[in-house]
Amino acid sequence: MARRVGVIGIGHGVFGRRSDATVQELAFEAFREAILDSGLQPGDVDASVIGAVPEYHKQRSLAGVVQEYLGLLPRPTWLTEAACASGSAAIRSGWLAIRAGVHDVVAVIGCQKMTELGTAEILALMGRVGEVQWESGFGTTFPAYYAMFARRHMHEFGTTTDQLAAVAVKNHHYGALNPYALFRKEITVEKARLSDRVATPFHVYDCCANADGAACVILASEERAREHSASPVWLSGMGCATASMSVLRRASLVGLPSAVAAAAEAYDMAGVGAGDIDVAEVHDCFTIAEIMAYEDLGFCPKGKGGPFAAEGRTYIGGDVPVNVDGGLKAKGHPIGATGVSMTYEIVKQLRGAAEDRQVPDADIGLTHNVGGIGQYCFVQILSRD
Amino acid sequence: MFKWFGLVSYVPYTKVEGFADHLREGRIMGSCCQGCGAVTFPPRSDCSACLDEHFEFIEYSGRGTLHTYTRIEAAPTGFERLTPYVVGMVDLEEGGRAVAWIGETVQEEDIEIGMDLQLVPRMSEEEERIRVYYSLEIPGTRWVKTAGSA
Amino acid sequence: MELNLEGRVALVTGGRRGIGAAIALALAREGCDVAIADQRLDAEAAEVVRAIEETGRRAHAVEVDVRSFPSAEACVTEVIGVLGRLDILVCNAGVNRDAVIWRMSETQWDDVIAVNLKGYFSFNRAAARIFKDQRSGKIVNIASINGLRGKHGQTNYSASKGGEIALSKALARELGKFNANVNVVAPGMVMTEMARALAPEFLEQAVDESVLGRLASPEDCANVVVFLCSDRARHITGEVIKVDGGQYI
Repeated sequence: MARRVGVIGIGHGVFGRRSDATVQELAFEAFREAILDSGLQPGDVDASVIGAVPEYHKQRSLAGVVQEYLGLLPRPTWLTEAACASGSAAIRSGWLAIRAGVHDVVAVIGCQKMTELGTAEILALMGRVGEVQWESGFGTTFPAYYAMFARRHMHEFGTTTDQLAAVAVKNHHYGALNPYALFRKEITVEKARLSDRVATPFHVYDCCANADGAACVILASEERAREHSASPVWLSGMGCATASMSVLRRASLVGLPSAVAAAAEAYDMAGVGAGDIDVAEVHDCFTIAEIMAYEDLGFCPKGKGGPFAAEGRTYIGGDVPVNVDGGLKAKGHPIGATGVSMTYEIVKQLRGAAEDRQVPDADIGLTHNVGGIGQYCFVQILSRD
Repeated sequence: MFKWFGLVSYVPYTKVEGFADHLREGRIMGSCCQGCGAVTFPPRSDCSACLDEHFEFIEYSGRGTLHTYTRIEAAPTGFERLTPYVVGMVDLEEGGRAVAWIGETVQEEDIEIGMDLQLVPRMSEEEERIRVYYSLEIPGTRWVKTAGSA
Repeated sequence: MELNLEGRVALVTGGRRGIGAAIALALAREGCDVAIADQRLDAEAAEVVRAIEETGRRAHAVEVDVRSFPSAEACVTEVIGVLGRLDILVCNAGVNRDAVIWRMSETQWDDVIAVNLKGYFSFNRAAARIFKDQRSGKIVNIASINGLRGKHGQTNYSASKGGEIALSKALARELGKFNANVNVVAPGMVMTEMARALAPEFLEQAVDESVLGRLASPEDCANVVVFLCSDRARHITGEVIKVDGGQYI
């Protein structure tokens, strides 16, 4: 029987334009909070896994630099990268190590600086998200791909731009309550409609913003987790799947096949279904992404994600509260950190520690972290005994 | 040379390099695996189905239907002076898909998912460098094919 | 040498006499249908047309004011309408109005620039659009060694001929990837009717300059033009070939 893995410490830094810190200094903020939360000493950590996307940093080979700054030498460390799902990839990596019995306590740090590069460099990177060989020559961008998904979703199911905006309104509402979020102000559908166009049908408020930031979770084997708490939070379902990284080779563009597959695996492992999820963090890099996530995760029927959002069913008190920490939309999206940030939030919810954003009786939570335009998806289900 | 393909190129070398040379001469090429006969667009050298590494170029008509599209207002580096431009994705008649600009023969107000379009080989006229690409035009749009010059 | 010019269609401006007529005829002898454009369609023009048709090829003559931009455009359109297509443009129509600069009038300057430089621009532009779209074509612009060097009394003429050379080079860059070549033939003194009308000392001066000790014939120029228009010269573009017997080395 494979070992269960618990989350015994969580930490988070402020996301935003962090001109005050290097990536390792950001990592330290999150790690410090997590290690204190866990009650352990840094010396108790057997290994660390760093989730980050290297091409945004001037510093090469981030894992070693971060590891050293955290004071964890000479323990093992390595970098995991899966685009915007690098944080979840790092968690999976730590989970695998503990399940295999190689380590007992693993610190997972998702960290990212995105503002070290100049605008031109960042815009150049934005043009290389899809299949560079066949698509980038035409000036495609990350928002353009999801915009094309949105167009198709609108064509097949009648999803409207106001339904897309409803997702942004919700996430900004909760972001205003989250001290770690980049954007702390509510918005209206009207404001979303009037914002600058990015790639039709998207306006600025349909798109998440780049940000700097870090988050940390301390993973532990079952024995160590039980030492920490009478009722640990477990990683009870871990799903991971891939799909074509090119829109040219996806059978359908109105959902992410990697998410459907990863969710199925996670639900199966955890022995739960979509209806059992009390609170979720999904990858809202663009508003349509959250709507498709509702469908891919089984929260609502295929094609009904738009009305599901517009009817308020994903607010606290609704069918399934989603992204009540602001999501990528309001928090900002430091790509390596997001997956760990999502996990932080769910653990907080399951512990009953989310204060004015607490989902009542949250027992089973889910994170859905997507890399790029859906070439990677990691779905985690967390629960207590 | 493959680096001619697209307005901006990040890929100078590839085993399917001839694609750009053919496009320059007005021919849109997919690949046909010499092992199992699988036809692919965009072309690829190595067959993931049968692992054969030998392929032949096979000419596509360029006819397709529009699967989805978007008008890009915020451009990536190298495309700033072109915005806004409309990028479309078509399902090709012979199979496979292509991403390309929607061209001048198509009025933006007429763009509709499911419409028939024609991929037309193009060469950039505004700059000295050779840049080859294709655009999506109304069906029946004609273009010149030239013989190999090498 | 097999030049493979059979069936090509050419337009020669200033083609009713002198170098232009020689070029038109030489192209016809290699198998081209040839149109000539000139300011006056007179007996000389008719004679060129007759000579072309005698080779068995088609001919057409167009009256044109090369100083007029729309007139040049219309001329190219007419040639394509009558002969079916255009493969070769030879710009040759030119004038000179010599004077030392302090005695040169504004009109003497304007006329030479208008006929020589703007005239070549107008025809090159009209042909370039055709050649770009059909992905083939040859342009040969007849300049002069006095566009490569300065000539006393020819601040206007030298400027126009130097301009033709630079125009040709720039255009070669624009048309290259469309498989169209643009080259210049720069004659020295050529023995034409116009030359015979000059004072003898000018001709003598030219003969003295020429290391070969003679003047060019119109056919000497035409031979090089014909070669440049052929596929044998497919890899020559943006080039200036002097036909000056070594007058200017």
